[in-house]
Amino acid sequence: MADNEPSDLVRAALDGDKASWEVLVQRYSGLVWSVARGYRLGAADAADVYQTTWLRLAEHLGRLSNPGQVGAWLATTARHEALRTARGAARVIPSDDVTMVALGHVDEYSPERAALDAEQARLDAERDARLWLAFSGLPDHCRQLLRVMIAAPPPSYAEIAAALDMPVGSIGPTRARCLRRLREQMAETAE
Amino acid sequence: MDSEHDETALEDDLRRAVARFDPVPAELLAAAAEAFTWRTIDAELAGLVFDSLVDSDASSLVRGPAERRLLSFQAGSLSIDLEVTSTASGRGLVGQLVPARQANVEIRVADSAVATEADELGRFRAGPLPAGPMSLRCSLVSAGPQAAVVTDWVTI
Repeated sequence: MADNEPSDLVRAALDGDKASWEVLVQRYSGLVWSVARGYRLGAADAADVYQTTWLRLAEHLGRLSNPGQVGAWLATTARHEALRTARGAARVIPSDDVTMVALGHVDEYSPERAALDAEQARLDAERDARLWLAFSGLPDHCRQLLRVMIAAPPPSYAEIAAALDMPVGSIGPTRARCLRRLREQMAETAE
Repeated sequence: MDSEHDETALEDDLRRAVARFDPVPAELLAAAAEAFTWRTIDAELAGLVFDSLVDSDASSLVRGPAERRLLSFQAGSLSIDLEVTSTASGRGLVGQLVPARQANVEIRVADSAVATEADELGRFRAGPLPAGPMSLRCSLVSAGPQAAVVTDWVTI
């Protein structure tokens, strides 16, 4: 089932097969979430964008002009919805929201755990936290692009382009530039 | 400057950090799976054709205060105009079917629905509703070619 073509999944879901719909959800949730979070929306707003996007797809299943590109359709829909939500003035979040989330989740060193495992886990957690912090400090366009590129499972170039409203040809160079900035940011926070 | 290998390694690290700090919440995955059951197969879809949040520029007269948002949906010759107001207790809706039609209006919010009626002038109102995804299902009284219409989902 998971290997099915997107257009087959759409067709089966349209015929009422909930399992096929769930495969679509598994395959594209990372992408939809990455778009919503890329717009610096708070958790509640990002959740609304994510949910609205899937509800829309449910109504549009039989109306997609290209069912094989359902991932790009979801990415575009999530982007539009995220923009709307970001413009809703009543929904402003503090800009350091992301950072706070990151720091709140760092595991404490636990002496009860096997010493080596715990130490390694702590180092991993610290490194991840440092990386997350550096990532959160990147300019918006870099955060949006990288966030979508690393969505799991990995989106196609067409889906990335739809998520960012960006020509496919400029994805590669922008990615390289943004990763370089991330590395620089990491080096700064290490000092 | 960076080798392709270094770039990929950094992306892998970032992917791990995202999985740790900002994964798709499990309850959202469940909600997306449930979205399937909200699918309507017996109604015409009214697409979103206007949203004052994105379709009006700074000089437009339509643009009001941010807590008052205008939405318009269209299915064939029927349009559904909505004014959404934001208050501390939630969202309020004032709607109008054009041309005026009497209808039973079901306001669907993420996990429940509220029923109201559009009067003979096509007007209806509802609220306060929870902020979040919302869609209307209008069953037209004295149905012509369009018996039922559902709107696109929007986040209110």
